[in-house]
Amino acid sequence: MGKNFTPHRIAFYVGIIVIWQIISMVGVWPDNIFPSPYEVAEDLAYSAADGSLFYGIATSMWRLSIGLAIAISGGVVLGIFMARVEVINQTVGSLVLGLQSIPSIAWVPLAILWFGLTDGGIIFVTAIGAIFAVTINTYTGVKNIDPHYIEAARNMGAKGSQLITAVLIPAAFPYMISGFKQGWAFAWRGVIGAEILFSFLGLGFLLNAGRSLNDVSQVISIMIVIMVIGLVIDTVVFKKLENKVMSRWGLQ
Amino acid sequence: MTKLEAKNIVKHFSHESHKLTALDGINLKVEAGDFVCLVGPSGCGKSTFLRIIAGLEKPDEGQIMFDGHPVTETSPERIMVFQEGALFPWLKVQDNVEFGLKMAGIPKEERAKISNRYLDMMQLTKFANSYTYQLSTGMKQRVAIARALVMDPDVLLMDEPFASLDAQTRDLLLVEMQLIWEKTKKTILFVTHNVAEAAVLGTKIAVFSNRPSIIKKEFENNFPRPRVTEDESLLKLQQDILAELRPEVKKSRE
Repeated sequence: MGKNFTPHRIAFYVGIIVIWQIISMVGVWPDNIFPSPYEVAEDLAYSAADGSLFYGIATSMWRLSIGLAIAISGGVVLGIFMARVEVINQTVGSLVLGLQSIPSIAWVPLAILWFGLTDGGIIFVTAIGAIFAVTINTYTGVKNIDPHYIEAARNMGAKGSQLITAVLIPAAFPYMISGFKQGWAFAWRGVIGAEILFSFLGLGFLLNAGRSLNDVSQVISIMIVIMVIGLVIDTVVFKKLENKVMSRWGLQ
Repeated sequence: MTKLEAKNIVKHFSHESHKLTALDGINLKVEAGDFVCLVGPSGCGKSTFLRIIAGLEKPDEGQIMFDGHPVTETSPERIMVFQEGALFPWLKVQDNVEFGLKMAGIPKEERAKISNRYLDMMQLTKFANSYTYQLSTGMKQRVAIARALVMDPDVLLMDEPFASLDAQTRDLLLVEMQLIWEKTKKTILFVTHNVAEAAVLGTKIAVFSNRPSIIKKEFENNFPRPRVTEDESLLKLQQDILAELRPEVKKSRE
């Protein structure tokens, strides 16, 4: 891996905050349009102190978890069937490619009509935004399995569902992990977007509330929270999982 | 007792819109306890023949008779050892070895008892908890052989299992393979392109012709064991096999 860039990284972020502070002190724009980093931090501290921040995070994460769980279980099943049954691939598969090109936000009007302004609607948007990434990666993973694995397993007596759970899923797992990672990224964007439009609790709602109160500090502070959560889950959870799988499967 | 009989096996492949005949009527009789080595030029279809016996492919004509019944599908009675081992990288060595037992629904304790015996036989006990990426190519082949033996198959089908090993490891495994065969009394079909390997291992050596292939000649090989590759007594046999093989290899390159 070579050089450790942590000091550079810290210096970079300190630099950004310093420049930000200077610009706000020079007073090019009024405070209510361009707050200082201090004001943003203060806002963050307030919302942490009164609990609204953590309640928002918990609500968003809860919706995301359910949506992603639905996307993962549905996407894996769909992907396996597409990879193993050609007629499903030719029919359902083509629809999956089409649906994948719809941004998850575009599902919001339909979700509101179907579910009303409920958790169910937001979870629907989250799940549908993530499911196709999981499906396509699972499909690719199963298609790329060394055929000798499947032959060896069948030769040793594996049949039907045994073949799926004991060979297809573990053999395709490195691809599936990439699918989960992509799915998570789509789900995260989806849940925040839906919350803004539904305006019904969660981090997206806090963003929108900040907008309607003309509170730029709150908007920026929530955006930072969204970024940090995204980064942490990406690098800590998924990167670690991916590395572990890759080395275990001998791909690294 | 005849364990296995190939009756006029024909197999075609379509290759870029023209039909290619790989096997053009293979006939072979294998007695229980035989160690049959199949040699032939590369691309002659000897691996395909093994896959047909395993039930992983269907012949276009002809039939494989196993214990007097036609082979219709793959079964743990005829276990294949693949050239690259085809071990599952997501399982530890021991779980790889126990895979077939698990599929058969054998309880954990009993699986461990059986697999430990074969891990010991293949000198893998130390590596039981390793993952396959941590093993050398030779070790992987030992695991693949253990995984096959655990199924207690009637017939072991080995598709160039030693092709990617270095010479020392191969010599070691050639000795061990003979011991395993003597100990387990399995019927073995062993595909190789290496004539010395065939002469050391086989009780019978079948030479495949170039495509479209038939079995050109069979040699009996009753030299005492254990044999090693440098045995001078095997040289004459090797020369005889090579004399049959050489023109076929030449044709395959034309």
